[in-house]
Amino acid sequence: MNLITSSIGQGLLWALLGIALFLTFRILNFADMTVEGTFPLGAAITVTAITKGVSPLVAILLGFLGGAAGGLITGLLYTKGNIPILLAGILVMTGCLSVNLRIMGGSNVSLLGQKTFFSAKIFQTLPRYFDSVLIGGGTIILITILIALFLETDLGQAFIVTGDNQMMARSLGINTENMTILGLTLSNGLVGLAGALIAQNNGYADANMGIGIIVIALASIIIGEVVFGYLTLNQRLIAVILGSIIYRFVLLIVLQLGFSTNDLNLISAIILAVCLMLPKLRHALKLDGILRKGVSQNGK
Amino acid sequence: MKRMLAFISAILLFLGVDLAIAPRTASQTASKSEVVRVGILQMMTHPALDQIHHGVVAGLKEEGLITGKNLKIDFLNAQGDQSNLKTMSQQLANKDSLLVGIATPAAQALANSAPKTTPIILAGISTPAASGLVKSEAHPGGNITGTSGLNPVSKQFALLHAIMPRAKKIGIIYTSSDHGGQTNAHAFAQVVKRAGLIPKMYTIANTNDLQQVASQMVSQVDAIYAPQDNGVASAMKTLVNVANNANIPVFPCAETMMPDGGLASYVISQKEMGRIAGVMAAKVLRGKNPATYPVATVKSGYYMINEKEMRKLHIKIPAAIVRAARQNGKVIE
Repeated sequence: MNLITSSIGQGLLWALLGIALFLTFRILNFADMTVEGTFPLGAAITVTAITKGVSPLVAILLGFLGGAAGGLITGLLYTKGNIPILLAGILVMTGCLSVNLRIMGGSNVSLLGQKTFFSAKIFQTLPRYFDSVLIGGGTIILITILIALFLETDLGQAFIVTGDNQMMARSLGINTENMTILGLTLSNGLVGLAGALIAQNNGYADANMGIGIIVIALASIIIGEVVFGYLTLNQRLIAVILGSIIYRFVLLIVLQLGFSTNDLNLISAIILAVCLMLPKLRHALKLDGILRKGVSQNGK
Repeated sequence: MKRMLAFISAILLFLGVDLAIAPRTASQTASKSEVVRVGILQMMTHPALDQIHHGVVAGLKEEGLITGKNLKIDFLNAQGDQSNLKTMSQQLANKDSLLVGIATPAAQALANSAPKTTPIILAGISTPAASGLVKSEAHPGGNITGTSGLNPVSKQFALLHAIMPRAKKIGIIYTSSDHGGQTNAHAFAQVVKRAGLIPKMYTIANTNDLQQVASQMVSQVDAIYAPQDNGVASAMKTLVNVANNANIPVFPCAETMMPDGGLASYVISQKEMGRIAGVMAAKVLRGKNPATYPVATVKSGYYMINEKEMRKLHIKIPAAIVRAARQNGKVIE
């Protein structure tokens, strides 16, 4: 019972990462490796700020700004410097490691005994793990609404068109380079925010905490898409959040079944691969409903 | 869309139910059965950490807690992936009456997930107080105590100095993102400085940098010290190759690094450190209060020497040290 609540809370916190990556991975159509650097960057900034006496809320905003700065650099390297996006992301990610060590003055900074977002009085009266459910849920709802509203604006529409069809976007007078920079900045800002929140939840920031997180973000996106099928854009954002919760459930089940944790990475890789192949498998096994086929292929 | 709404309602319903009944279920977790449940959370698979883990189990056994009889151990290994630490530590905190953390991030995750009433035993954490885990090593003050794995840097320096009295510049190499390595490296540098010699620090971001950084280092130093650092430990062979080509000896700090080509060392057995943590865990389970149970710093160790390296580098090790290693330590031939 308790553990399911804990998984929901963790899922909601990590969903922020999925939503952030959705902007670049699904809307702009590339996998942004920068996140493995900006995630610990957000964590490093927020934890260091808190230990220096900054209020947790301001510290989280600083984490957001730090992440955004990282994304901005990747965007500039990609658009102005003509460095392939994968490489630009990896370069910034690598650089972030040194920056994080400088910020923290070491490889690990603890928050134990410090005031964090999660140590507020109201959360102490709640049952265990409801702090992460409330903070994670509140943040993700707020951010998702803001993103949905942003995507409705002219700027947001231009951003979507850039990902859909660069050529057409340019013919409409959209500066696609600026759109890409905007997307990377915004996305990594959110990643920094996720790092800031998760570090406060975990109680420490560590230089190595970014390793492998891109898999978690992709898993949320892909699991959400596979489980919930064809959706509108706003619904897809919600699907990412639910995908993140489902991913935590899967981890919980794997742990509860008593698998050796040595196999955990392999198991999550297999689950992800199966999810990625599911549309193909469904097609091959002719599991697709005729109706859905008609809708999706639009009379082809 | 229907599926999505159904899923959301299910989650909300579950949370509502849990919120309503949780306060009552939380209090009944303490079990009264004969079998004690101990949760061990390890940061990653690594020879030194694995030995600490074995030591903990041995220590518990020594105190009469035997798996399968009156002890159930839940062991989780995060495989270096810190995103899993939180979920894992919550899972352990939920069912175990005592928790053991191996490596700093694992211990921090446990400290943050477990209720303040659950005792946590640290197994070989380099700096428990600086990591925020305990108030001070002498008076932990909370639900956490255990063993500290600080390396006996003074003894290790004394050994280096005895073998190479004319060495002036001592190269120290560590991974910049490794907390333990960094702490150990700086502690050693202090000792070197106090002795009037020159410590020269070199850092690598990961093991791929080692070859290049080491090549640079060997041209500038007389001897090399390899601290308790996961990155350097796993690329020890590379370091030794580069150093030996320049006729420079490597003095590692850990037992596991000696067979890969370390010349000599004074080491604390990782297993011994784990064993003491295990014994402490058993005593806490029997009612000793972690708040007033000081962190044990394991200081006594033994000499290890590598005769193959001695011959290769034509270095003579003082007879007293050789004798000590033969009697009460280890000699690699």
